[in-house]
Amino acid sequence: MDSQVLYNIIPQEAFGLFIATYFYLTGLSAGSFILSTLSYGFGFEKFKPLGRVGIVLATFLLVLAPLFLLFHVGAPLRSWHLFVYLNFSSPITWGSFLLILYPINCIIYGTFMFLEKKKPTRIFGLIGIPLAIAVHGYTGFIVAFGKARALWNTALMPILFLVSAIVSGIALMILVEMVRSRFFSKEKKINKDLINSLSKILAWSIVVDLFLVFSDLAVLSISHADAQAAAQLILHGKFFPMFVLLENILGKIVPFIILVVPRFRKTIPVIVAALLVIIGIFFMRYVVVVGGEFIPLI
Amino acid sequence: MKNNGKRSSDRSGKRYAMLIDLRKCIGCNACSLACKSEYDVPLSVFRTWVKRVEKGKYPYAREFFLPIVCNHCENPICVTVCPVGASIQREDGIVYIDPHRCIGCRYCMASCPYGVRYINPNLGIAEKCTWCFHRVDAGLDPACIEACPTQAMLFGDLHDPKSPIARAVAENAVQVIKPEIGTDPHAFYIGLDKAAVETVSFEEEEP
Repeated sequence: MDSQVLYNIIPQEAFGLFIATYFYLTGLSAGSFILSTLSYGFGFEKFKPLGRVGIVLATFLLVLAPLFLLFHVGAPLRSWHLFVYLNFSSPITWGSFLLILYPINCIIYGTFMFLEKKKPTRIFGLIGIPLAIAVHGYTGFIVAFGKARALWNTALMPILFLVSAIVSGIALMILVEMVRSRFFSKEKKINKDLINSLSKILAWSIVVDLFLVFSDLAVLSISHADAQAAAQLILHGKFFPMFVLLENILGKIVPFIILVVPRFRKTIPVIVAALLVIIGIFFMRYVVVVGGEFIPLI
Repeated sequence: MKNNGKRSSDRSGKRYAMLIDLRKCIGCNACSLACKSEYDVPLSVFRTWVKRVEKGKYPYAREFFLPIVCNHCENPICVTVCPVGASIQREDGIVYIDPHRCIGCRYCMASCPYGVRYINPNLGIAEKCTWCFHRVDAGLDPACIEACPTQAMLFGDLHDPKSPIARAVAENAVQVIKPEIGTDPHAFYIGLDKAAVETVSFEEEEP
């Protein structure tokens, strides 16, 4: 039956670019933090050079990220309401506490690390891991609780966010570690062994991420009408270039090939792969947040 | 005041509801206008509006109207997700926003399945249809109901079996928008057309 909408109001955008950026930065922070604890928390000596850059980055990114929330909210001077009026069924309330506890723990952990006190560093590193997972996982719950939007309302969202956080975090650490060892270390030489190990972890994290994206899409495209429309939108519609090309082909498949084929695993291609991943994950956040609320509700 | 959409299930108190008879609606927008003036709603945003859908091809065509108000759901997701408890559900089912508490985080806008919320461009906080609870508490009908020239809209206590709305809801085939979403909306419609509630697919929407 032919039908067309003659008049309807255009809804305001609810989340948009600022929130996508916020999710992206908390993801990078959580990923960097987890890598920093590989040596100082879990004792993998090989990853020791990542400890200090990791924690500095994690802290810096997590101080930067909430600024985007302040840009986003309509009444930023009332932000203190978040800590006074609580609603524990809202993921944003969970986040208000995580966004305080996590940076504090980062600073304590970092301070002990720079003071070279092994035991407290280890303790605060291990405390930080659930915090880092929570501080990014809760953003997945924010999106998943938006039950009106088919692209958001899936239990996969928190784990999808976490895995992509780890992917982007590793890629960022590869770049930062290359710059650090090449220009700021005593040897002035890139630690090939460390970069190789990171490349392998990154490659297999990308595989997990791709699998999650596949399961999300597979279920969306056979689910109810709104879900099918959402799958269409990102697979064939307006978000096709961002989702398929930038996020998945350039952001995941190409870097994966570069990272697993030994012939390509040279310095420059690995830099390219890491950059592609970092850009690709940004588009992942953008597609989820903006693509999710693109289809009108009424 | 109640939170988290956990209203007590006893039927002794009031439960307000709205019934819109789309067979009588002529799409005049008197309801939208009454709402705008009742609340001084800023330009570019609406608490209630009339969606217009045309079905069929001339000469076998008809225009359908869908006045949209807040559904004042029994399980309002906006109340569940509001981080500062600014979205509040009253005992009688009316959901409203405390303007002094809202921080404008837009989470309610992102999660409302009916898209009835907006950010007031002057104040930066979320607002929506309140079923005019200030009028209802004073014994009056909401502004849109009073303005409707064809009496297509009906408002009242669903728990009072003798009230006009309880009788109309009981005696007619009524429908709600998106019953499957599980919010238990309380704006009922008679003669709700499939085409009027279908969300526009993204291909059609692009000009």
